Amino acid sequence: MILPAFRLHRPTSIDEALIVAASCDNDFDYVGGGTDLLPNYKNRLNPRRNVIALWRVPDLHAMNGGSLGAMMRLVELERDPDVQRRWPGLIEAVEQVATPLVRQQATLGGNLLVETRCYYFNQSHDWRASKGYCMKADGDVCLVVPQKEVCYAVYSGDAAAVLLALDATFTIHGFEGEREVRARDFFQPDGIRRNVLRRGDILTSVRLPPEAESYRAGYLKLRLRDSYDFPDAGVAAAVKLDGGIVEDLQVVVNAVSMTPLIYSDITGPARGERLTPALIQDLAAAIAARIQPVRNVMFPPQYRKRMVGVLARRLLTRLTLPAR
Amino acid sequence: MSVVGKPAPLVDARAKVTGSGVYTDDIKLPGMLVGKILRSPLPHARILSIDTSRAEALPGVRAVVTGRESTVRFGVLPVSRDETAMAVERVIYIGDCVAGVAADEEEIALEAVRLIDVRYEPLKPILTIDDALEKTSTPIHDKTLDGTNIQKAVDQNFGDVDAAFASSAFVEKHEFRFAAVTHAFTEPHCVIAHHDHDGRLTVWSATQVPHYLHRALSEVLSMPMHRIRVIRPMVGGAFGGKSDPFPHEMIAALLSIRTKRPVKILFDREEVFITNHGRHPTRTLMAMGVSREGLITGLDLKSLIDGGAWGSFGVVTTYYNGVLCMGPYRVDNFRYSGRRVYTNKPPSGAMRGHGAVNSRFAMEVLVDILAEDAGIDPIDFRLRNLLPPMTKTINEFRITSNGTREGLEAVRGASGWNDLHGKLPYGEGIGVACGFYISGSALPIHWTKTPQSTVHIKIDSDGGITVHSLAAEIGQGSDTMLAQCVAEPLGVGLDRIRVFSSDSDTAPIDLGSYSSRVTFMAGNAALRAAEEIRKELVAAASVLTGQPAAGFVLLDEKLVYAPSPDITVSFMDALQEAIKDKGALVARGCYAAAPPMGGKFKGAAAGLSPSYTFQAYVARVGVDPETGFVTVRKMWAAHDCGRALNPLAVVGQIQGCVHMGLGQALTEDFRYNRGNILDANLLDYRTLTPRQMPPVEVFMIETNDPEGPFGAKEAGEGPILPVAPAVANAIYDAVGVRLKELPMTPDRILTALQDGRGGPGARPSRESSRREGKRAPRRPATVGS
Repeated sequence: MILPAFRLHRPTSIDEALIVAASCDNDFDYVGGGTDLLPNYKNRLNPRRNVIALWRVPDLHAMNGGSLGAMMRLVELERDPDVQRRWPGLIEAVEQVATPLVRQQATLGGNLLVETRCYYFNQSHDWRASKGYCMKADGDVCLVVPQKEVCYAVYSGDAAAVLLALDATFTIHGFEGEREVRARDFFQPDGIRRNVLRRGDILTSVRLPPEAESYRAGYLKLRLRDSYDFPDAGVAAAVKLDGGIVEDLQVVVNAVSMTPLIYSDITGPARGERLTPALIQDLAAAIAARIQPVRNVMFPPQYRKRMVGVLARRLLTRLTLPAR
Repeated sequence: MSVVGKPAPLVDARAKVTGSGVYTDDIKLPGMLVGKILRSPLPHARILSIDTSRAEALPGVRAVVTGRESTVRFGVLPVSRDETAMAVERVIYIGDCVAGVAADEEEIALEAVRLIDVRYEPLKPILTIDDALEKTSTPIHDKTLDGTNIQKAVDQNFGDVDAAFASSAFVEKHEFRFAAVTHAFTEPHCVIAHHDHDGRLTVWSATQVPHYLHRALSEVLSMPMHRIRVIRPMVGGAFGGKSDPFPHEMIAALLSIRTKRPVKILFDREEVFITNHGRHPTRTLMAMGVSREGLITGLDLKSLIDGGAWGSFGVVTTYYNGVLCMGPYRVDNFRYSGRRVYTNKPPSGAMRGHGAVNSRFAMEVLVDILAEDAGIDPIDFRLRNLLPPMTKTINEFRITSNGTREGLEAVRGASGWNDLHGKLPYGEGIGVACGFYISGSALPIHWTKTPQSTVHIKIDSDGGITVHSLAAEIGQGSDTMLAQCVAEPLGVGLDRIRVFSSDSDTAPIDLGSYSSRVTFMAGNAALRAAEEIRKELVAAASVLTGQPAAGFVLLDEKLVYAPSPDITVSFMDALQEAIKDKGALVARGCYAAAPPMGGKFKGAAAGLSPSYTFQAYVARVGVDPETGFVTVRKMWAAHDCGRALNPLAVVGQIQGCVHMGLGQALTEDFRYNRGNILDANLLDYRTLTPRQMPPVEVFMIETNDPEGPFGAKEAGEGPILPVAPAVANAIYDAVGVRLKELPMTPDRILTALQDGRGGPGARPSRESSRREGKRAPRRPATVGS
């Protein structure tokens, strides 16, 4: 399959990128590493006539204090001793993205904004023409849940779940200037709209609050092969303990819905408690009971649901073990 | 031996790993056009009309062809010629070829394909085996059986299975299900056809059967074979997936005949999946009995095989599903019923371990179950039931060398089996399985008196030795094997030898790389040709030294007079003497046919081979009982290769077989959604990653086959057979569940565990008394009820 024709723009600043975007008549995509966008273009999944590459914008590559540039390559994050020390939970998620080769190219921002996935969407144009188009590309119905009017494509990035758990904030530059959005408020339960970004918006950086470093965080991912595969489910957790007593606990379930799902209402009551095996088991079961995956990725829904419980229990158990 | 038996890097390895090797897509010819194929969006439909006018009017489009222009049927087997270059009246699977376009640029060709207007009348698609067994008014092909979509029925009966089961101590009968799997080779199909101004057609194609392609082109195009030249450039993997003459090869030729320009068709990955020809989805019902003494009494087997849209090798597949169960164990009573059906899906075909893999899985799991019934260790049980060497099976296979016993002993010792089986903690297990495969089909596909393999050798005064053969190097190392078989008798190193195996104009016929035939047949042909050359060199040495020719041995670039080893002649001096008055030495060797063998019954030829290979593997696994994930910790792999001509290549083939076999066992599943392939890309079609690949400890069992070249047999296919059942038997040892459906994915394993089967108490032989009486012998059991 060959790429459709598009015009490639390579601005060197955020302002220039916005100016280029404004001139593209709403027919453009930004591209980071391109490991997700370009395969989708080859499948003719909503290709645009203009692609604005952000490689040459130096500000997007920077790391300042708790702020990570959206164009940082995933391998850069993995290999950065400072990042490793401060947010090992984030590294655990990043290291499970795709393959080492893809992570050479893929960016942090790109992983956060990775296109949602579904068996009826991630197919060639011929395949979709044969099957019938879905509402996410060229059609107007959902082929997974036909009676619903929303797209159920699965959120499939890995880094976001940990960032939600650590209460990160995303910095966004748009036509109306700069704003910040909490990661927890960023994603939208709609497989097409996906998040709060408006046309022209650039996700420029990710800021982790100072308190994030006092949490233990981690990420476990369900996938058939321990390389290559997108998540069929994932669980991130961040816990702050004081002498074994929970000060704060956040659990995020990934890749079972259109967004990462945070369950503060379930984990909130654990504050002030000791994370005993029994409590962990109860929390994991309550979270698994809440999720409602549909049949649109490799593993069947019931299995994914069950595995969320297992992964949550295992992750919380690990995070409460004494530090090595 | 100075070359044979020594690890030799493949002769084309440097070109491949440095990127300088030339594959079909690397070839660019002046004036070359891009060919693209319009494919059917429907699984089954009548073509009402095709309007190509808008496509033909597009600037840059040079030709458009449709099915009506070529209605000659072809197919790799003469008994099932059911393909045409493009659909003529009906399309029969999603992706079926409808029209071909040649244009100046790829974008133009793609646009032209979109501009072809086809009107279809949809027909009811047949997508499952059960539907295909029903009677229908519109069978997918004519010549099906009894108004159904059954393409081939095989019924064989040897001895008396019912009586054998009636007198058995235990009879077990189980149903197994196998998903389709596909080859997932690296290089997509690619072809260039050039019909030149002299009326000659040259076809470069990624094929493992250049000779069958040559024949099919001749028939389809009504062009004599001598005006067609087939060239096989480097091939980036095939595994059986490039062993049919294909529609796209015919389409490229038709487009080139129209345009008189070279036309290249390169598939994208989705087209590779659509072209498939992978392992058949299969339902297997198998019953086996065992006596009080732990001897197999009989085997009753029924296979339902989903062939997809075309015949391909399916008639052979149908036989192989049965007859390749005739080793390595002695089975005195055997009944087989095989049915291959057509369905409206991409064609199934030949894939590494062709026809044998699925039945082998069923058989090895059943053997494990019966061993437990009989209270015998699974390795002891297998040893007790082995065919001896130099024997004949009930269906009259001639068994020569047989290294199963040595193989089983090797893996038993190395794996620590005796201390581990039935003794590992819950979640850890160890399992064993054997295998049995042909080393070359004894009879060729076409009725012909020409040899199966012929090899030519030429040596001129430069001292370089050129070897000409049409045996298809597809990455398995056949060029290196040919070089070794020539170098050894001539006493020279591999650097003197160049193998030319890609061009039908210069190479003598070889039937190609399928049925694991090349080492045995082309190797013997090369060896015989080299022996002719050797005679001439020895005669020259005799002239130069005055010593009798019979006394010379050739080694280290010298001809040494053995009775008096200080009398030597250099290879080059002998050569110059030998060519003095007559020019370059040329010689021919061939492998005509296997010795007469086989029974007189219908289908007796299926599975006949001049020799067979045998395997014995042990797998060690860990199973996470909470998630169902399996980690294969190690494989111990013993393969009777007769003799390892090139140990490096043999080990590589066995490692590759373990990788491919584990994929079918654990992750690979060629799934459909109403006729559409769900996973037609290498992200979603899940072959094993390097991280999941266990260490493989290889044991090359050298039985020195009496008829193989230097004693060698095949090593490319048989080693896949025990992989999946060894893992399944190890999973049972680990968590107590028997998986009877491939792939054994985590969700399936967990479902089995949740069903109440399995668990710590259900595993074998921890407390042997506990299981006694639990499993009452069920008999008689027959298959097919």
